[in-house]
Amino acid sequence: MLNAIIVDDEPLARQELRDQLEQAGNFSIQAEFSNAIDCLKEIRKLNADVLFVDIHMPKITGLEMVNMLDEQERPHIVFVTAYDEYAIQAFEDNAFDYLLKPIEPERLQKTLTRLNQAVSRKTNQNIPAQPLTLIPCYQQNKVRLVQLSDVNYAFSDLTGVHIGTQAGEYHTQLTLSVLEEKTELVRCHRQHLVHPQAISEIELLDNGSANLLTKSGKSLPVSRRYLKELKALFGI
Amino acid sequence: MHTPFNWLLLLSLFQQMSVFLVIAYLFSKTPLFAPVVNVSLRLPHKVVIYFVFSAFCILGTYFGQPVFDAIANTRAVGAVLGGLFGGPVVGTLVGLTGGLHRYSLGGFTDLACAISTTAEGLLAGMVHFWFHKVRQSPKALYSPALALVVTFTAELLQMSIILLVAKPFEQALGLVNLIAAPMLFANSIGAALFMAMIRDRQSIYDKFSSTYSAKALNLASRMVGLFKPGFSTEQARKMADIILEETGVSAVAITDRENVLAFTGMGDDHHYTGEKISAQITLDAIAENRVMFADGIETPYTCSHSEDCPLGSALVIPLRSADEVIGTVKLYESKRRLFLNINHTLGEGIARILEELILVGRYQQQKQLLTESELKLVRAQINPHFLFNALNTISAVIKQDADRARELTGDLARFLRTNLKQNQDVTTLAQELELTNSYLQIEQARFAEQLQVNVNIDEKWLDYRLPSFTIQPIVENAIKHGTSQQLEAGKLSIYIEERSPFPALIIEDNAGLYQCKEPEADGTFRLSEDGLGINIVCTRLKNMFGKNARLSIECDKNESTRVIIPLTEAVC
Repeated sequence: MLNAIIVDDEPLARQELRDQLEQAGNFSIQAEFSNAIDCLKEIRKLNADVLFVDIHMPKITGLEMVNMLDEQERPHIVFVTAYDEYAIQAFEDNAFDYLLKPIEPERLQKTLTRLNQAVSRKTNQNIPAQPLTLIPCYQQNKVRLVQLSDVNYAFSDLTGVHIGTQAGEYHTQLTLSVLEEKTELVRCHRQHLVHPQAISEIELLDNGSANLLTKSGKSLPVSRRYLKELKALFGI
Repeated sequence: MHTPFNWLLLLSLFQQMSVFLVIAYLFSKTPLFAPVVNVSLRLPHKVVIYFVFSAFCILGTYFGQPVFDAIANTRAVGAVLGGLFGGPVVGTLVGLTGGLHRYSLGGFTDLACAISTTAEGLLAGMVHFWFHKVRQSPKALYSPALALVVTFTAELLQMSIILLVAKPFEQALGLVNLIAAPMLFANSIGAALFMAMIRDRQSIYDKFSSTYSAKALNLASRMVGLFKPGFSTEQARKMADIILEETGVSAVAITDRENVLAFTGMGDDHHYTGEKISAQITLDAIAENRVMFADGIETPYTCSHSEDCPLGSALVIPLRSADEVIGTVKLYESKRRLFLNINHTLGEGIARILEELILVGRYQQQKQLLTESELKLVRAQINPHFLFNALNTISAVIKQDADRARELTGDLARFLRTNLKQNQDVTTLAQELELTNSYLQIEQARFAEQLQVNVNIDEKWLDYRLPSFTIQPIVENAIKHGTSQQLEAGKLSIYIEERSPFPALIIEDNAGLYQCKEPEADGTFRLSEDGLGINIVCTRLKNMFGKNARLSIECDKNESTRVIIPLTEAVC
């Protein structure tokens, strides 16, 4: 039994896919989402085996959403799309699995067989990293899409991952490792990332570690382990 | 003291006058004559008039008949005409010049003649001034009767001055008795004849040019109305008839590169429409791309059909389109008539007009093609994405609700049918809304509660006009780039606002994602490839209803986008 999540902005398309998956058996539909943002918010709690994602969705496309997921926790991805020659080209180049709407039962069967094998072997799909441009964030009940260029730093604490901009701090579902891998942010501490251009000063401490001050006036710790790399970045 | 009428003197004066008129006639053939024919205030023209009529004055004195130590002469004609044509200053100067010259010859009337000639010039000049400045009718100056009266008066004046000034008075009286009557007659009539000659020349010139201008303009306007794209036999026939009628030549033919499209006029009993071109002269004109002329004298025109053909000369003018000969116009004249030069010129002019008309015809054809391809382009815009989505939607609905699926299939069919059969450029709002509605039915099924549509249009607007395929592409845009790009439910409204100068149809969405930009100078918007649809709508609106009929876009960021389409009232 595989746990599946469906993300598609068209209700009929979700229903159609659910019907087909249920018919094929061996699936339990854990959740359905009508957009990428809602999905990102919940996905880590769900621990799904497979994610069926539409490409065209509001604000954040299916491709962008998959790119925001931490590779360690990412379920298997199957893209579903109606008509998009460019997207299809991209999948084929990267050997992603994809389904074309309307989904043919034979084709779906092939995908399911492949999924079963992959899940039992615990192999991971190799999806090339794309740089992020938008970071979906939450502030109370509001969704905010923060431009990457506005981000000064990011950190994690007990409540999750937060990013800091000139305007304030927001909560995000993205992990620090995704941010480190797919943005210009660099790690200065196990729990802190900083944008090199946001640094205004670095204060070296006696114990070999340091403190840095961002242009917005936020103080961040720099551990010994990462100070060297940070110094190298600025050629100090 | 009474002297019998001197017939010999009169005859002599008329003789002088004849010589005068011959010289004047010859002179009238030179370009120098132009200032005399037209009343002109320009200095160089006045100078010409001064010299010409001073010369006439002096000649008049030389040709004169010596009488009693004086001269019976025609000098007055020069002074009077100089004054009439040149005005007071020129007239006085001409008279003065003639007078001084007379003075230099001596005799007992020398001073009197000098004064009187100057006075004559001034008198005529005053007449000129009165007609020109006071009556504002310079044309009236060219009247032989006026010349007669003025000269007569001037001569009376001269006689009076001789009597007053010349000494001794007895001798002067004798002289005046002798010469007064002949000179009054001869000079007045001479001046009148001179004027008549000038007037004739003036009016012949005017008439000639106006007659032929009228002919050419008439021809042109009649042909313009007739012409439609293509080069049909029927049109060629009508064209040939018009040319025949207007030019008055004996026969006219129009050919394309191979065949005679029309032949009309003399000789149509053996020149037939529709046959192959056989005349060598025509074939040469086509091959060499130049005007061929067989004048019937040096180059004889021989009919290739019949030896008894009454036609004796022919002009063949090639018709060119884009530097290529596409046919000819032929003008024929009968053996008994001379081919007029004017018809030669006119013929070439006709050919130019025809070429222009052919060009216009082609332009219109291309414009028509452009409209058709624009329509095709608009249709092609809709096809793939929408069709895929519609089929997917229907395929998903079938299982759950067969009736709904049937309705949607009906909507899709209606949409495609309208799309395929619509060939008109302009349509009514009612038809546009129907097409849009079929489209929206499918989109609403697809997005369900994510898309709420509200169409609110009063019946009175339904007959208003707009280019076909205007609303649907914009609604499609609003969904594709607007409502479907936002997380909350999309709202789409279609309604009318009474704006000036046109009522506006408004398509509003609640996404407000349109990047607000000013339209470009040509009224279109710089958009991505997806914006092509909107730009086609812009261009077609402008082409159909003028540049005031602009599509405009109002955008409130993240709140709403409103596309405003002007409507035009129905033309019944």
